[in-house]
Amino acid sequence: MLSGAGIGVVCFASSYAVALALEISRLLFRSGVRGAFMVGFAAAGLVAQTAFLYHQALKTPGSPLSSQRDWCLVAAWLLVVVYLYLTCYHPKNAFGVFLLPLVLGLIGVARFLADAQPYAREPASRAWGVVHGVSILLASVAVLVGFVAGIMYLEQARRLKKKLPPIRGLRLPSLEWLARANSRAIVVSVLMLAVGLASGEILRLLSQGDRLPWYDPVVLSTVCVFLWLLAAAVVGVLYRPAQAGRKVAYLTLVSFVALVVALALVLSVDTQHGGRQSRAEAVDGGR
Amino acid sequence: MHLQVVGCSHHNASIEVRERLAFSGEQTCAALEEFGRRFPEVESVLLSTCNRVEIYTATESGDAPSLNELAGFLAGFHGHCPREFLPHLYHHVDREAVRHLFTVASSLDSMVVGEPQILAQVKQAYQSAAGHESVGPLLHAAFQAALKVARRVACETRIHHHRVSIPSVAVADFAEQIFERFDDKRTLVIGAGEMAEETLQYLKDKGARDVTVVNRSDGRAVELAARWQGKAAPWERLDEAIVEADLVISTTGADEPIVTAERFAAIESARAGRPLFVLDLAVPRDFDPAVGERPEVYLYSVDDLRAACQRNRQARDKELPAAERIIEDETERFVAELRHRATGPVIQRLREEWHKPKEEELRRLWNKLPDLDDRAKEEIRQSFDRLVNKLLHPPLESLRDESRHGLPSTLLDAVAKLFRLKD
Repeated sequence: MLSGAGIGVVCFASSYAVALALEISRLLFRSGVRGAFMVGFAAAGLVAQTAFLYHQALKTPGSPLSSQRDWCLVAAWLLVVVYLYLTCYHPKNAFGVFLLPLVLGLIGVARFLADAQPYAREPASRAWGVVHGVSILLASVAVLVGFVAGIMYLEQARRLKKKLPPIRGLRLPSLEWLARANSRAIVVSVLMLAVGLASGEILRLLSQGDRLPWYDPVVLSTVCVFLWLLAAAVVGVLYRPAQAGRKVAYLTLVSFVALVVALALVLSVDTQHGGRQSRAEAVDGGR
Repeated sequence: MHLQVVGCSHHNASIEVRERLAFSGEQTCAALEEFGRRFPEVESVLLSTCNRVEIYTATESGDAPSLNELAGFLAGFHGHCPREFLPHLYHHVDREAVRHLFTVASSLDSMVVGEPQILAQVKQAYQSAAGHESVGPLLHAAFQAALKVARRVACETRIHHHRVSIPSVAVADFAEQIFERFDDKRTLVIGAGEMAEETLQYLKDKGARDVTVVNRSDGRAVELAARWQGKAAPWERLDEAIVEADLVISTTGADEPIVTAERFAAIESARAGRPLFVLDLAVPRDFDPAVGERPEVYLYSVDDLRAACQRNRQARDKELPAAERIIEDETERFVAELRHRATGPVIQRLREEWHKPKEEELRRLWNKLPDLDDRAKEEIRQSFDRLVNKLLHPPLESLRDESRHGLPSTLLDAVAKLFRLKD
């Protein structure tokens, strides 16, 4: 059972689910008070999740980024912050319809798939460990935000191409705004991943004894995502046609797929990243 | 008490008629002053827009100007004969006048129902009249209520969200969905059609500043560019102008497309993938439809926008009953308030008559009980006040109830006789 300070994952996940249901109800009917309820439920969920993560941090040293589960929950927390910010500043746009499913997805992964055990490997340097964890987390959130902006861009472009008026209740930001958000998401994710990889390398060099091999699947997949994003950012800067909103949107979608593949690798393959015991070792140890 | 409106609008008068009766800002000021001199007891507001010219008048007592007098004033101010305008004028009195004002302010009477400018125009007319002290308690109340009703209609219905003119749909439903801002965008006008100017107006309202006009006739291009503080470019530079543009409004009278798919291919490569919004208002079309299939080109023809307008019109029509209900409710409420105001003098006298014996009784009591301290006196006074108010409550409520159905003249007479109220 995942709980902290009397608050369970189900508690804040339910709040976000209600906020999502309210967002979707925009398509069905109008209401003057829905916006307040939407923000209220999301904010209540955020407060509950903050209390949950705080309680986890008190219980487990290194938390809230000391396990895969914590990592997913903090990423979800950041996405909710982004959602609340965007909804408060652009109340007419239906960001929640696109962002909140990702939040619930991350919470679902945390609840059912992610490993709740703290990483066994103690970082060689606490400070570099924090830099590494936070930067990789921020890079992932930037990719997720870019993915949402990319989906919204393609939907908005499809509607405009088909010459359809805005859908009632599903108002989207302008293509210009979405293209800018996409480009920024790519730049932020590249910078954060660069910091994450550099700090990871420093940690590797500082570590005594068993160093994390460079061919570890998690390291390799992260480097691949970084190279992809770097190429996308560099091509975007040097080659003007690549700055076209639709192309940037596709780049962010591919970046998201790369991120999902990297996360799937973290969750499913044998890796020494974070000091996790490989599955083979675990099986041997169990005999 | 008499409230009325006399005027003409796009419903019943052609633009030629409206133009002859229209008042500029300065003329409005002069007209209000002249009206005040001619009818010193009458409140007035003059509303003059491109779609309507109306004069609202109200008087609490005394004679209200007749339709002929008001028609004579409107036409006479411009030196016209009123007789030729009379068939084009409407005349609404009291309840109908209030309902008309509320309908106008809420934009339900506009040529493009739901257009937002009319509310600002009504507000400006009211403020102008207030500035000239030609507004009294009745028109103050009526116009304040009209502004409130317009806001209610805007908040509680989506009537303002459904634009139904081609330029407004082009800008609000499409251009604004592509571009976040317009002050840093380049607008290119090809040709010099009327609808291009209307679209430019919408774009200017959204902040567009950089306008280039390209026309086969350089003189016309220069004239239009000067009107919109833009620049004119020669027809030979059309391709370069499209390369630089973010928005294109095309309204030439060409028989064949002036921008074919082949011609646009060269332009497209020079644009480096920047999005291009093309509003092709020409019939036959100026842009080959194949141009609209290019990835970053958003091409809209008159037919595309007409379809969007039709959809919006249908959606807006669904909102109309709700807006009309609001206007009906608010008219009813306002008229009841007006009637209730008419009962004010009788109520005032009734209160005074009832408070006189109260004060006499209190004086007698203070003389009989000289040892009473201030606190006790205050308690007793409050008890007497409550008693008088409770006794007054039923007759006042009856008056209020009756006001909802009309001016309660019979009841007012009965109250005056029953309680021996003197004028």
